[in-house]
Amino acid sequence: MLQGALAGLAAGGLYAVLAVCLTLMSRLVRVVNFSQAATGMFGGFVAVWLVTETGVPIWLGSVLGVLLAGVLSGVIGWIAATWLSEADTTTRSAMTVGPLLLLISLSFILFGNKPQPFASIISGPAFTVGGVVISQVTLVTVSLAIVVAVAVRILLTRTAIGTRLRALSERPTTAELLGIPSKPLSIAVWVVTGVISAIAIVVVAPTQSNDAISLAMLIVPAAAAALLGGFKRLDLAVVGGLVLGVLSGLVAQIDEVSLIRNFLPFLFIVVLLLWTQRKEVWDAAR
Amino acid sequence: MSALIIDDVAVSRGAGPVIQGVSFTLEQGRVTALVGPNGAGKTSLLDGISGVAQISAGTIRIDGTPIEKLSRVARAKQGIVHIEQGRAVFPSLTVRENLSLTARTPAEIDAALARFPELEKRIDAPTALLSGGEQQMVVLARAFAARPRFLLIDEMSLGLAPVVFMRLLPIVSEIAEQGVGVLLVEQFTHLALGLAEEALVVASGQVSFQGPAATLREDASLLHRAYLGGAAA
Ligand SMILES: Nc1ncnc2c1ncn2[C@@H]1O[C@H](COP(=O)(O)OP(=O)(O)OP(=O)(O)O)[C@@H](O)[C@H]1O
Ligand SMILES: [Mg+2]
Repeated sequence: MLQGALAGLAAGGLYAVLAVCLTLMSRLVRVVNFSQAATGMFGGFVAVWLVTETGVPIWLGSVLGVLLAGVLSGVIGWIAATWLSEADTTTRSAMTVGPLLLLISLSFILFGNKPQPFASIISGPAFTVGGVVISQVTLVTVSLAIVVAVAVRILLTRTAIGTRLRALSERPTTAELLGIPSKPLSIAVWVVTGVISAIAIVVVAPTQSNDAISLAMLIVPAAAAALLGGFKRLDLAVVGGLVLGVLSGLVAQIDEVSLIRNFLPFLFIVVLLLWTQRKEVWDAAR
Repeated sequence: MSALIIDDVAVSRGAGPVIQGVSFTLEQGRVTALVGPNGAGKTSLLDGISGVAQISAGTIRIDGTPIEKLSRVARAKQGIVHIEQGRAVFPSLTVRENLSLTARTPAEIDAALARFPELEKRIDAPTALLSGGEQQMVVLARAFAARPRFLLIDEMSLGLAPVVFMRLLPIVSEIAEQGVGVLLVEQFTHLALGLAEEALVVASGQVSFQGPAATLREDASLLHRAYLGGAAA
């Protein structure tokens, strides 16, 4: 039972990293990036192809794949910053569905629709507590989520660039009138979140279902996790990801309910929405 | 001394031009008042100069160099600072953080604050928690720290108590004395004209008076006619 829950923690760490990236994107560049996981998926697939077909070492293939994911994300960001800079969040978010579908079909064309033979970058147990094994993958993803959330917080509150990013997110026009370059800064946010998401996906992919759809659709549990923090709070996004991971690990253990595993993010979202509206008058809120 | 030269400029929004045929020169070290009734197109003109809106006709130059095709950021780098209508603070940023956006060194933050002793005890408070007058002080201090060559101020008085506004006005003169060309849009016409050397009256999208502010100060009926869009000068 506990082992099952902890097995879910590796996926939970991945959800948490993606949720932190989604939250950051929503706060800083006004977008719910539906292609957040897809760019990482595509970078990961290219990494696998490089390693298996051209024989580059795993570490190099992974680095190149992660960088490619960052570039792809940057290109999508460039599109948003060039043609949709004045558009509202809804329009900008809808645009990201395009690259999501494009990257899925492109990976079908280039790599087929089978799961990819991801080689593990890290594997094996990290340590054992009370007879329960914690894998290295779990340790790495959970730490990555926490480190990224803390680092981003420090960046935003303690550095000059963070102040500029917050200014841009609050009043983009006013910030530009003060000479703050909105386009390069927002593209940088896209590149960085693209890279971070890809790192998490490449680390976890060997131990998860890793076909194109499964990886690209990690966006669903990640969005559910980000919702816990209202797409604003990084700490709650991390908690949301970890809780969702543990829950799905638990559910997978119990035969009677294992079917609901696929609906778990949806249930999580519904429960969250009901909880956040608990103080509203039923008729007025619905 | 450089000058910002506006030549036959029009700004369109949606349907057609909301202000057109505007030509004037904003010289460094002088205050030009831009007044006119609501909806005359004052904000639209400022937007066109700073790049918030694209101009639909004419040219804008600093000395010889055209700037009307430049982005907002590039125009800001050319020394144009636009204080927008309303309270243009970044609410979650503290007073210090707001100033650090334009000040290059901590000494420049202190220099900007020296004009507004009121702000010093609120320096680490989010600007959202400040009063309207204090917020407008933050905006002015931030603009001052940017060391502009040309400063466009849109209705600083909006929503402020008259005493607070009277406290801020002399600072605009001081900024101009340091060699900044100030374009002052104001509803309190008499106060603005009292401060300015040059004046521009716009009514229903056209310039209806252009000349020394003293001319309007002395002849109230001229101002009145210009507001109605009559007297061209
Ligand atoms: N974003 C916009 N889209 C369409 N029309 C606009 C827009 N902004 C302003 N207008 C129109 O342009 C005209 C001029 O507006 P503007 O805000 O420039 O006037 P103003 O002189 O600044 O008025 P006020 O003194 O009330 O601030 C008005 O008729 C207004 O309805
Ligand atoms: Mg206006």
